[in-house]
Amino acid sequence: MSFLAFFFIVVSLVTFVAAQLILKRAMEFSATAGMRNAYFVSRVAIGVALMTVSFFLTLGLLQRFDLSYLYPFQGLSVIFITILAAVVLKEKLGVRLAIGAILITAGIVLVSMS
Amino acid sequence: MTINVTERPTQQRPIGFGNPWLQLGVSVACVFVSELLLKRGASEVAEPNSAFSWTGINGLASPLVWWAIVLIIASFISWLYVLRYIPLSIAYPLSRVVDILVPLGCWVFLDERISALRWCGIALVVIGLALVVKPVAKMEERL
Repeated sequence: MSFLAFFFIVVSLVTFVAAQLILKRAMEFSATAGMRNAYFVSRVAIGVALMTVSFFLTLGLLQRFDLSYLYPFQGLSVIFITILAAVVLKEKLGVRLAIGAILITAGIVLVSMS
Repeated sequence: MTINVTERPTQQRPIGFGNPWLQLGVSVACVFVSELLLKRGASEVAEPNSAFSWTGINGLASPLVWWAIVLIIASFISWLYVLRYIPLSIAYPLSRVVDILVPLGCWVFLDERISALRWCGIALVVIGLALVVKPVAKMEERL
């Protein structure tokens, strides 16, 4: 796999995870403050824009690789969320989480060699 | 009208098509089929030698991609509906069954030749996801 392909895989996953979190925040905000405010609308717009970027990058990747090759990389999104939780929430990595992250990473390495 | 006392009012679950468990299945099925359609559609119009095709925009020329978009939106709506009734820490792990369905679908419907090495990698990812899915769902709830 080329560096470019790996770069686009990572960007498509990061944009997807970021979009999910931004949209979730926006929905939580709307529960108390309603939907007719600049904050909510701008966050939803950013979230949808990021999802769109992720979608099109995936579509570009699917023109080049098998789905069975690309799909396991979605496991990386879990690693991003774990890292983000460690940074933002100062959450400590449990044993279960650590073993899972190692298995996912090993699996992705095997798939990328196949 | 009888009220089931074992269920809290916030978790009153509609029956029929509105049943959240059925909707969870609908959501998973939509994700699964949309992945396969996206791959088929992308392959139909693939231009791997053009740099522009990295943007994926040329994929819109395939009708299958548009069907996939419809299914993605449908899965999103049914997922939001599911979350009104089923907690994320239960619904999210169950929804990951799609991680098993997609490689099988690639093999059965897309005729992708999956080597032993790739099967092993897929299996490791699936086991890893199964291990972390609950703690991650809880983290995501807090993030």
